[in-house]
Amino acid sequence: MTQADHVTLESRDLTKTYYSTDPPTQVLNGIDLSVREGEFLVVMGASGSGKSTLLYSVSGMDRPTGGSVLLEGRDLTSLSDKEASRVRLTTMGFVFQQAFFLNNLNIRDNILLPALKAAPKEKDAAIARVDALLERFGIAHVKQHGITQVSGGQLQRASICRALACEPSVLFADEPTGALNSSMSAEVMDALTDVHRAGTTVVMVTHDPACAARGDRVIYLRDGLLVDTRELGTWSEDEAGRREDDLFAWLRKKGF
Amino acid sequence: MNKRESLYLRYASNDLIKNKGVNTALIVILVLSAFLMATGAMVMERLIGSVDQLFDEAQPPHFLQMHKGDYDPDALERFAAEHPEIDAWLVEEMLGFDGAAIAWDRPETDESGDLADSLIDNLFVTQNREFDFLIDESGAIPEPSRGEVYVPVAYKQQFELRAGDELQVKTDSGTLDLRVEGFVRDSQMASSLSSATRFLISEDDFEELERSGGGAPEIIVEYLLTDAALIPDFQRAYESDESLPKNGQAVTYQMIRIINAFSDGLVAVALVFLSLLLIAIALLNARFVIRGKLEDEVREIGAMKAIGLPDKSIARLYLAKYSVMTLLACIVGGLLAVVATNLLTRGVQVNYAEAPVGAATVLVPVIGLALVYLFVIAICRRVLGRVRKIQVVNAMVHGSTLSDRQTARRAKRQARRVRRSGLASFRGRSVNGRLALLDIRADARQWILIPVVFFLVAVLITLPMNLLSTFESPRFVTYMGAPESDIRADLQFSEHVDRLRTEVLSDMREDDRLTDVRAFSNLLYEIEGEEGLETLRVEVGDYSGDTVEYLRGEPPESGQIALSVLNADKYGVSTGEEITVSLGGEATPVVVSGVYQDVTSGGHTAKMQGEVATDAAGYVIYADTVDGTDAAAVADDYGERFPAAAVIPMREYVQQTLSYVTGAFLSAAVLSLIFGIGVAVLITSLFLKLRLTSERRKMGTMSAIGFSTGEIITQVRLKTLVAVAVGTLAGVVFAATAGESLVGAFISLAGLGIADLSFIPNPLLVYAAYPLILIAAGYLGAVTLTAGLRGADKSSWLRG
Ligand SMILES: Nc1ncnc2c1ncn2[C@@H]1O[C@H](COP(=O)(O)OP(=O)(O)OP(=O)(O)O)[C@@H](O)[C@H]1O
Ligand SMILES: [Mg+2]
Repeated sequence: MTQADHVTLESRDLTKTYYSTDPPTQVLNGIDLSVREGEFLVVMGASGSGKSTLLYSVSGMDRPTGGSVLLEGRDLTSLSDKEASRVRLTTMGFVFQQAFFLNNLNIRDNILLPALKAAPKEKDAAIARVDALLERFGIAHVKQHGITQVSGGQLQRASICRALACEPSVLFADEPTGALNSSMSAEVMDALTDVHRAGTTVVMVTHDPACAARGDRVIYLRDGLLVDTRELGTWSEDEAGRREDDLFAWLRKKGF
Repeated sequence: MNKRESLYLRYASNDLIKNKGVNTALIVILVLSAFLMATGAMVMERLIGSVDQLFDEAQPPHFLQMHKGDYDPDALERFAAEHPEIDAWLVEEMLGFDGAAIAWDRPETDESGDLADSLIDNLFVTQNREFDFLIDESGAIPEPSRGEVYVPVAYKQQFELRAGDELQVKTDSGTLDLRVEGFVRDSQMASSLSSATRFLISEDDFEELERSGGGAPEIIVEYLLTDAALIPDFQRAYESDESLPKNGQAVTYQMIRIINAFSDGLVAVALVFLSLLLIAIALLNARFVIRGKLEDEVREIGAMKAIGLPDKSIARLYLAKYSVMTLLACIVGGLLAVVATNLLTRGVQVNYAEAPVGAATVLVPVIGLALVYLFVIAICRRVLGRVRKIQVVNAMVHGSTLSDRQTARRAKRQARRVRRSGLASFRGRSVNGRLALLDIRADARQWILIPVVFFLVAVLITLPMNLLSTFESPRFVTYMGAPESDIRADLQFSEHVDRLRTEVLSDMREDDRLTDVRAFSNLLYEIEGEEGLETLRVEVGDYSGDTVEYLRGEPPESGQIALSVLNADKYGVSTGEEITVSLGGEATPVVVSGVYQDVTSGGHTAKMQGEVATDAAGYVIYADTVDGTDAAAVADDYGERFPAAAVIPMREYVQQTLSYVTGAFLSAAVLSLIFGIGVAVLITSLFLKLRLTSERRKMGTMSAIGFSTGEIITQVRLKTLVAVAVGTLAGVVFAATAGESLVGAFISLAGLGIADLSFIPNPLLVYAAYPLILIAAGYLGAVTLTAGLRGADKSSWLRG
């Protein structure tokens, strides 16, 4: 598959040091990573190993200390904050462990916000797209609700809708199921799998092997270094149990 | 120290260190209010103390009457014999010289100059024997020997005179040389309101001055009564006695006191007002901060409650911190106030006397500070009362300070709002602007602080400025009972005043630089008062086309009289009613045509239609200059031609007459502008600091979505700008409308003779520059504070 080999997102010798602490915290120590187009990549590692930092640095929310990040061959680290934000808006989506929403907007407006911001003139198209997303992820009936008036699972699905509102090429998810019980967790993972199947590249951080088993490939971080990679191949419902066991054994060896 | 106390202390000190920025700003606000409160209180106490002290030493008269020209000494003797309430009395003889006739030089350095810049009368006197002493700087009663002079202490500063300087007085027959021996304080003429000041010389020199000619003789008849309460009756008795000298001003003890206190007291009053306003702002802030803090720390509070700490102890924990802060602020503010008071009252101490330090000196500011402390603590208590209502579950699980019911209510409110909010329905391009407006509406309860503060500050800086421009405006003369004109010539009583009038008038009428020359005569009528005949000062002249503003009614026509507000009140008459006035024993009934406001002659004046060219107590001539003529030059010209006439441009006349008030207003205007802007910036920064802390998540979320830091900053600045502008504009509107009547009421209470004040603002300054400056200041606060957001790692906003 030549398409699968096309690299969408790439980091080279990526380092990140936080200088707000004394002494400065070296979190990423040189990460070389290639994410193939349409891939579902899972990032694992012990708490504090730098997983979230990797997502923030790659997405341009935080400025890397060294190295480079290439999105479709374009170096993001050389962009201004404004340009990087535009890239984030139009080609990246975020889903977090906690659903970060603007509490002065209802569910639909929260999802509409990035779409409107990206193309204020094409409002009607944006609304249609958002309504379709709400329908697709089964939360159309709560779209007028405030963010405190829906369940955690619904909120997380709304997060996914928002992340998809601008039809991004990469979706980042940082422990999207971390705060959910298992049934809600499954809802959200189904949604992400759905997104992936529709062709979006997904990069997900998780601690849960069951969730990780959904990925095409798992990478393992330790102390800010990428220490191992495991190809799992495309996920299917039938193989779920075997993939989980396999992954679990691999993780055990890493001291997980 | 028991365990519990040490816990409180540790909590307080930990917290102070942890939240440095917020706590510093809060302390600054508290220090500022403590400082202003203490300063206001101390300045007042010092001022009153100084005036009292000078009065003790100098013993000013209870009643005095100025007079120029001939008088009947026997009448005075007879009057004194008839009035047993007189403790002592005297006639002080004075010789007036123009400032330009008094020169000085300093032999050591060859510096020299004259007192021409002084526009008030310079009166040479000898020391009084029984009361109304001139006091030297050490508080003693100096007795100059021949060749020595004591100069008014105000001139020491104004002309930088020193002891040892030579003073030359130009008389008609050569100069009299005097040596400055020292400086004197004058209880009667200390205030800047006074239109005259006294130089103390020896009897011999006085006689020589008298012989040499050139000075304008003038007397003050002064009385010291057995009881100050008898002053009003005594004044009436004096004024109703026709044989007594009275063509000058009459002044009572109360007036001397009020005038003395008023000129500098106004600043103290302004300071106290200012500090009250700041305290209001500081309290608003304390409330805001403490509430914010509680919201930040609900989880901790919930945990404390869960382990069974009683509400009282938790509240005390927080209270401990704010007590420490307020106490600290009061101490620092109090110490700063001591320094400021010394600076502010230096002038007062020089002009009056060194105020004695007593119990009140300490007590007054301490009480002021105690009030500040109690206010702040009371507010804290109120806010902390909410601790009781915090529910453990809500606090620990949802991090909410609210009870279930409150939570439900808030959720409902929010739901209603978001249902309508509608990003989908909005037109226009600016997503940032839309978000900012939605935010400010949703978080109005927090944001309201900014408009309220800016409202108060706008009022605070606008009102004194409006007052100042009103009192400085040439149009303000209409408040003073004088017509609006460019030049005013004042011909005071002298032997040749009638001839002088004719000459000045005919010269002016022929002068083609001048138009609309009008002459008025000051006549002393008599009127039936509550207890016998009283003197009524009437300005007689042509009032057709009068530009004086009438509160009620119209200018007088022949057979009519217009009264000043204070006179209309005093005699209980209104327009249309008839009163009887008499001149030289001849009674005339006149109808009151109108009532106007007046600040001259203590506010007690009247106007009648007619022309009187002889035997008046004085004349005033008004004239307009034709376009393109410099009023000052014309005035100077006439001043030279007629040395006995005081010819000045109207603007200058207003400034001189009101210099004591405008001086105070200027200080108030400058002080309130500086403090107001400072406070505005401080509060904006403090507010935003807190706001940005609690909005980190929101900012992180927006950043993740794809808003740049620049846009996030823009939103914050936009919100600030809206809040600041709304508050400022409301404040300006309030100051222009309700503020006017508020200040008007205050002014009419002050008994200046103004019953109804309408501002004559400097619109460009007050309604354009001031609001812009204030808004810019607020915006600047926002810019400075948000600038720090740039370059931050935005992930840290999401990490909580
Ligand atoms: N703004 C910051 N300033 C200083 N240090 C930071 C900052 N953000 C993160 N760190 C540190 O960087 C390290 C990695 O954090 P990161 O959040 O990337 O870990 P993680 O792998 O996502 O952990 P977890 O699984 O717990 O989410 C941690 O030790 C953390 O304390
Ligand atoms: Mg993480």
